[in-house]
Amino acid sequence: MTLIDLVAEKIVKIPLESQDKPDILHELVQILKDAGEIDDFDAVLNAVQDREDKQSTGLEQGIAVPHCKSAAVASLKLAIGIAPQGIDFDSMDGEPTNLFFLLVASPGLSGPHVEALAEIAKLARSKAFCKALVNAENAQEVVDLLKGK
Amino acid sequence: MSNPIKKIMVYVDGTEQSVTAAQYAICLASFSGAELIAHYVINTRAVEDLLKARIFLKDEQVEYEHDMEADAERYLNYINELAIKKGVSVIKKRSRGSVHKEIVDSIEADDVDLLVIGELSRIRSRRDEFFDETERAMRAVPCSVLIVKDEDRVWEMYESLV
Repeated sequence: MTLIDLVAEKIVKIPLESQDKPDILHELVQILKDAGEIDDFDAVLNAVQDREDKQSTGLEQGIAVPHCKSAAVASLKLAIGIAPQGIDFDSMDGEPTNLFFLLVASPGLSGPHVEALAEIAKLARSKAFCKALVNAENAQEVVDLLKGK
Repeated sequence: MSNPIKKIMVYVDGTEQSVTAAQYAICLASFSGAELIAHYVINTRAVEDLLKARIFLKDEQVEYEHDMEADAERYLNYINELAIKKGVSVIKKRSRGSVHKEIVDSIEADDVDLLVIGELSRIRSRRDEFFDETERAMRAVPCSVLIVKDEDRVWEMYESLV
């Protein structure tokens, strides 16, 4: 299981409609709910918010990686949201965040969770690629970019 | 000609694919009489990278490494149970570090003849960022590699093993 296996049009939303951090988290979890990937919306949202309360997962250069473990999922779940306008997400560099990768993992699958997060971390190092994702016009384009089509 | 496969290593990472690979490896060990090693690598390298990238907090690093230790124990015990049911002995091996490097080092140190791994990701990306640690190990090990496919067929083979 690699990150690319999880990428599908139904788990990508562009553009995100929310304007602040709590709403963005809500909208990202809603992507999973709408895609049929989770049943217990509140359990997942609470777990994501709890982790975010410890320290923001807003990194540098417009990328955020909200993540958590939750017994509400049986396997690794990914949602991708893009906010071309940029959202204040308490990022490390203080800059607005455009690109959001939400990862939710089952507590018994720490290994695949760590590897998926590591793949996102590697992806985040490519400024040009992240810029291409942010400039994508629709979910299909994001999927095609991630799958290298 | 003597049995060319004396030592088999199956890589276990907790995925369904790796459990199927283990069932196949148990069958192979039973048929051939080869020694079987089940190896789980706790990917501390990735955890360290996540801490450096500030995706993980120090607390999370400790928590996830602890969780992965528990996962390793649980999955290796499960593979051991699967093997015992079929009268096959398994050497449980657990290591920490970079997955592909640990597999390669272990293959060399234990003089393994055959590495058995689960089915690789069907969807591949041309992007270098999306690499698979198991695929990397497959390319780097000095021994032959067997990629196990068809979960249902393997299950039937495992179940029919007396």
